Amino acid sequence: MKKLLALLLTGALAVGSLTGCGGKEEKGELNLFTWDGMFPQEILDGFEEETGYIINYSNFDYDETMLAKLEETEGGEYDLVIADDYIIEVVIAEGLAQKLDTSKIATYDYLNPVFMSQFYDPANEYTVPHGAGIPLIVYDPTLTDVEITGYESLWNPALEDNIAITANYRVINGITLLTMGESMNTEDLDKIAAAGEKLKELAPNIRVINDSNTQDFILSGEAAVGFLYTSQVVAALMTNPELELVVPKEGLGFGIMASFIPSQAPNPDAAYAFLEYINRPENAAKCFEYLGYYCTNKAAEQYISEDMKRLLVLPEDAAAGEIIQNISVEAEDLHSKNWNEFMNACD
Amino acid sequence: MKKTKGCIWLVMPMYIFTLIFVAFPFLYMFLLSFMSRAKVWGVDFTFTLANYEKILDPLYLGTFVDSFKLAFLSTGIIVLLGYPYGYFMARMSEKWKKRMMLLIMIPFWTSALIRLYGWIIVFRSNGILDKVLTGIGLTDSPLKLLYTYPAVVVGMVYGLFPFMVLAVYSSAEKMDYRLVEAARDLGASSVKAFFTVTLRLTLPGLLSGVILTFVPSMGLFFIADILGGNKILLVGNVIQEQMTKGRNIPFAAAMSVILMILTSLMMALYRRVSGTTELEGIM
Repeated sequence: MKKLLALLLTGALAVGSLTGCGGKEEKGELNLFTWDGMFPQEILDGFEEETGYIINYSNFDYDETMLAKLEETEGGEYDLVIADDYIIEVVIAEGLAQKLDTSKIATYDYLNPVFMSQFYDPANEYTVPHGAGIPLIVYDPTLTDVEITGYESLWNPALEDNIAITANYRVINGITLLTMGESMNTEDLDKIAAAGEKLKELAPNIRVINDSNTQDFILSGEAAVGFLYTSQVVAALMTNPELELVVPKEGLGFGIMASFIPSQAPNPDAAYAFLEYINRPENAAKCFEYLGYYCTNKAAEQYISEDMKRLLVLPEDAAAGEIIQNISVEAEDLHSKNWNEFMNACD
Repeated sequence: MKKTKGCIWLVMPMYIFTLIFVAFPFLYMFLLSFMSRAKVWGVDFTFTLANYEKILDPLYLGTFVDSFKLAFLSTGIIVLLGYPYGYFMARMSEKWKKRMMLLIMIPFWTSALIRLYGWIIVFRSNGILDKVLTGIGLTDSPLKLLYTYPAVVVGMVYGLFPFMVLAVYSSAEKMDYRLVEAARDLGASSVKAFFTVTLRLTLPGLLSGVILTFVPSMGLFFIADILGGNKILLVGNVIQEQMTKGRNIPFAAAMSVILMILTSLMMALYRRVSGTTELEGIM
């Protein structure tokens, strides 16, 4: 019985691949290199159907793996890569990405400028943004009367032992710097030290520090307020729509994913065709609803379903965003020490 | 000497294992602790003592003190609970010995991490303990039991308890109970017989139990993570964090070297205090 099943499955596979290759006019492959599960199947199929390119989807787990692979192939093998902001800075510096000819992407003007011209590509020569993560505050109004408007509200003594936060110290120190009107990336050691002192005052309010599934603490009522990563914000609000979402007024921390074409891409035209396709407003809306990250395509916003809007569309009046960057070793060390002092003050 | 020559090939695997998995890693860690961190990722191979200087910072010295405090506290509780358990287990009939042993061993079949998550279910707000305490009218719900110091202590005691029981059991089992009977016959009270005979004879087991619980409790960072909500900073947590998010591997190595030196000193101290050169099952 098992053998028969195996035989049937192999047969099905063979037939599937035959029809996959034989069907329509063939234009070549799009070698796409990104994380697993970045696009809904509908979009991938639709692109192949319409353009005749066959998508060859390879994935990586970590940005660093992607970089190593690109270095190894000297910018060849892949036509389009989607990765995180900080690693793209390295890719561009190493000459592993090629300059874009944006005239080949008819849908380029739909992109949201808020998420462009960032540190890794200040003149938008190499990259097209594809989704942004923004850590935000989520709280359960049934568990606290405190009105939360920004990061500063977290310091309210009424929230004693009632806040769950993520464990990324650059982000937590960063929002403390934002409450003081400083940049998250300041290298001024005095300012970082001052932020460390202020952070310690937050300690009595901290219920738990945790990086994975932080939303669970809010959903279970263990803490009333959470400072969460985007994927966690989405998970929290999808599970309990009664939760309040706060876009802090002091400023936002962005993490942007962007696509680029490697320097020796075998088939850059396929990459341009794909960028054009995924940035058509209806398609982009589907992509972001599936991905659960902030929509970086302005024209797509109107196509995002009403209940997903507050999760995927940044409000017009949202504060400016800033991306956490690599800073001097001294500054980085001081951040790390601030964080340890903070943890120590928490218990 | 001649006799052993033929055996060398049988002993080789042990030497090779020790060399590859103990000596080399330790040497590597020791050397790393004198390097500097690279700006973005990795290690810069320039000699420095800065990592050790940094440990002298009151913050990091404090984590050593806190870790020792927690280790002493947990070990103390484990001795009070585990010693009688191991002792009375050794005094049971063969049939019951096996059953009790099974009860100790079964939890080991499940990952320690998963068992800790079990404690979360017990401790969390609106969790089992909260419901029970509220149900019998002792407290008002919801309680905040999880992510507190006592929760970490419970986790430590729970996780390391079997090591103490097994160590005490193995030495209590070997003890000749007739010596206790003789002491009683000669007029010693049961308390006196316990302290002069039983305790003396089971001391090696007790001490190896102490080492088996004390040493790991210095490094069990994930208990402080999971049940302490990351709010209790132990040496293990600092090392783990510096290795990952802190991206300062040399500093983590230096912390580990100091931790190893301190625990070795503790072990030497135990041996000196107990006057035994042989500790049941360890050295």
